[in-house]
Amino acid sequence: MSNTARGGVRARNVIFRIKRCEGPGKPSRWEAFKVPVEPNANVISCLNWIAANPVTIDGRQTTPVVWDSNCLEEVCGACTMVINGRVRQSCSCLIDEYAPNEGDTITLEPMSKFPVVRDLWVDRQRLFWGLRKVKAWVPIDGTYSLGEGPRETPDHQHDRYVMSTCMSCGCCLDACPQYHKEEDEGKWDRSFVGAAVVNQARLFNEHGTGRVLKPERLDALMGPGGLDACGKAENCVKVCPKNIPLVESIAAVNRAITIHGFKRIFSGK
Amino acid sequence: MDNGQGFVQRNYFLLRRLHSLTGVVPIGAFMLIHLTTNSSILWGAINGRAHAATPIGRGVETFQDEVSFINGMPLLLLIEALVLWLPIAFHGILGVVFALGASNNVARYGYQGNKRYMLQRLTGYLGFAFILYHVATLRWGWEWLTPANTAWSHYFATSTLAAALKGDGGQWTVPGIIVSLGYFIGVSALVFHFANGLLTASITWGIAVSQRARQRWGYLCTGIGAVVMLLGWSALAGFVFLVDHDEAHQIERRMVELKYGPEFLKEIEREHLHRPGMEAAAIRRAAEVPYPGPAPVIRE
Repeated sequence: MSNTARGGVRARNVIFRIKRCEGPGKPSRWEAFKVPVEPNANVISCLNWIAANPVTIDGRQTTPVVWDSNCLEEVCGACTMVINGRVRQSCSCLIDEYAPNEGDTITLEPMSKFPVVRDLWVDRQRLFWGLRKVKAWVPIDGTYSLGEGPRETPDHQHDRYVMSTCMSCGCCLDACPQYHKEEDEGKWDRSFVGAAVVNQARLFNEHGTGRVLKPERLDALMGPGGLDACGKAENCVKVCPKNIPLVESIAAVNRAITIHGFKRIFSGK
Repeated sequence: MDNGQGFVQRNYFLLRRLHSLTGVVPIGAFMLIHLTTNSSILWGAINGRAHAATPIGRGVETFQDEVSFINGMPLLLLIEALVLWLPIAFHGILGVVFALGASNNVARYGYQGNKRYMLQRLTGYLGFAFILYHVATLRWGWEWLTPANTAWSHYFATSTLAAALKGDGGQWTVPGIIVSLGYFIGVSALVFHFANGLLTASITWGIAVSQRARQRWGYLCTGIGAVVMLLGWSALAGFVFLVDHDEAHQIERRMVELKYGPEFLKEIEREHLHRPGMEAAAIRRAAEVPYPGPAPVIRE
């Protein structure tokens, strides 16, 4: 590869403004770093450079910036952060698009709806707690063999495949105006679970074996913090890096809940 | 599901769905009827059964006829309380409670859906305040809140409404300008709230699921919203800009006289005249205006 990227971008210096925090409950502060950027660099490679050269733009020595990342190919969701005010994965965020010129600035903040562990690293436990709340799995453990799995048509598989690409990154939650930061675990049950969890409930409700837990999933989503807390801002579907039709999932689960609710009224359960 | 929490927590699903339902029926449905009735001040011009000489006069006749019909309904107070006040209070109070739990990130995520989300809450607050003012001044007799301390009377529907919107005798006053502007904002806010509420209700109930279905439903809601908005604006424009207060009052007097007899007309006019701050000057002035033409009789 040449030293010039597709857009004709050259090596240059880019300023990174990073919101830093020493640890849970500690106050946050801003620090700026001047990073020499090669074409095709991404945010992670720049963070790597900062980790090796933890000196601010004023020449002050500081601690390396901490972040979370794993797959580096937008599949695991670990490196999700708020870049220039919008939530996305940092590994797939190319500097050439965000800062094509010498001296351009990129702002990095941790996700806003999860507790910060340190710097750009957040604790997404509540998202996984939500998946447990709606039993987002296929129950196959037992004392006897369940035999072959259910048959699936290609059409149905096609629909479900998109839902299954969710990597629990939390973008949909960060952009959701109805989803609020809640550090107190005791209050999670009453706070909105968010689109990602609803989508997983739909994925497993539509699975041949997974649907045995459908009533329990719908019950969980009918209560406080369930799907009725959705405000229909539809930000979730706009920011989803996997283009999962989240609003469609919300509407589909709402339809199931409507039917489930009427059934419950008339069966007296 | 129930965590031993309070009433709202235990009945969360039911309350949210009732909140959604009451917005469409009865509140939304009533608004459609209400704005259709009110815009008769304009479309009454083509009402073949109205007799007045001028188009707006026929509007006045038609509107008066509609208002008289509604006020002649049996058990009106009970209907109002059960079909309107109770659902509106429920929808409004619960809506405010839910909206307080919202946040606004339109600056960061300026998507159309997010803007509608923000506007839905804003128009909810505005609309609720407007409805309270509207019902309090025109129905509950809080005339001290109107531009010139005038009350609304269903016997003189158009003329007393013009006075309650603009000022005594339907003449513009400064508070009247503010009130009329408030009506414009309030009506527009409520129509948006209704149309956007219809759109989101399709997600709430899972009626339109796929992207395409929701898009089609969105077009329909936009169309419904545009038509209802036009009804609301035309009604307001009719009462604020087009109505001649004194002509309207003459037509209304004649209709009361024909329907209930001259004795009754004298009686309610006396009643109005003797209530302080009640359009006294306007009624006196209107009484001196010459008779407006053939007797306006509808439904013979």
